[in-house]
Amino acid sequence: MINFSKKSLLSGVLILFFPIGLASCSLGMIRPANELNVLLKDSARSHREPSFGMRWLVTLANHKGRDRVELIDLRSRRSIPTPGLNRPNAQPISVSISANGERIALVSQLSGQTELFLYRRNVGVLQRLEIIPKGVPGKVSLDGFGKLLAVQVSRDGRWEIDLIRP
Amino acid sequence: MLLNNRVTRAPSSFIQRNQQEPALSGNGEKMAVIVDLFGRSTVQLKDLRSGNNLPLKHLARNQPHSSPSLSWNGRYLAVIIQKGNKRLVIIEDRISGRMHPISISGDRDPIRLSLSPDASQIAVQVAYKGKWRVELFDLRRLIELDQPPGPVRNSNNLLDVN
Repeated sequence: MINFSKKSLLSGVLILFFPIGLASCSLGMIRPANELNVLLKDSARSHREPSFGMRWLVTLANHKGRDRVELIDLRSRRSIPTPGLNRPNAQPISVSISANGERIALVSQLSGQTELFLYRRNVGVLQRLEIIPKGVPGKVSLDGFGKLLAVQVSRDGRWEIDLIRP
Repeated sequence: MLLNNRVTRAPSSFIQRNQQEPALSGNGEKMAVIVDLFGRSTVQLKDLRSGNNLPLKHLARNQPHSSPSLSWNGRYLAVIIQKGNKRLVIIEDRISGRMHPISISGDRDPIRLSLSPDASQIAVQVAYKGKWRVELFDLRRLIELDQPPGPVRNSNNLLDVN
């Protein structure tokens, strides 16, 4: 008959379960948002360039071979219409959303022209923002209030960052 | 409806050349950028009020860095780094000084990312089987929130929070 002391029994239990506890802890720390991930996977052929608002996610979604800006309400898990944001035949390049989801900054290309825009969702207006001195915009970032915009601009073969208050 | 407008450029005397991938904090006070440091793409964090660079504890190595993203107050900086031949997502907590690696399982490489303003979630664009996909991860068991001081309001002056 084998006798276990209380101390050795406790040590055995700890040795047995400690690694399992650690593994489950680390696995539990970052959880994939499975329901939303399935929604994203099924809603378009592909998604890229994500930008988070508080309850909003904006991406460039590919539908039938064409990219367009797609706004998703994370609370209702629905795609929200954005009339006037996606210009016909334009290729969106970079997108960024304010925290409350009311303003969306967009860089898009049409007929060889790459331009910077700000979309105001409450009025459905897409405003072209002129870049001075002239340059070609690339990646864009909007602050949480939608009042300050940072955009990467190519000038004379070099990349600069312009800060703009639209 | 499409409007054409001139805009006001913010004072930018501190802005240097050869910077890419700007990422503003939610409060608009900080900006992360990718700069070319001795041929290596490296993330830098700038205080837009003073123009000074802010220290980053864990991001002097593992270049190239790409796709920085900041939380509301700039407490958290998420960025893609390179370790060996693997691209990894990490989050630096500028208050605790800790670094949090974000493990993305499977053979998916992170390409772009976006931290939610309160740092409760992160969206990661991955390349998987020749397609771009965006996957969301809940960070609330990993890090504290970095919330705006007050509720964010929408155009109807209604509260708009998670």
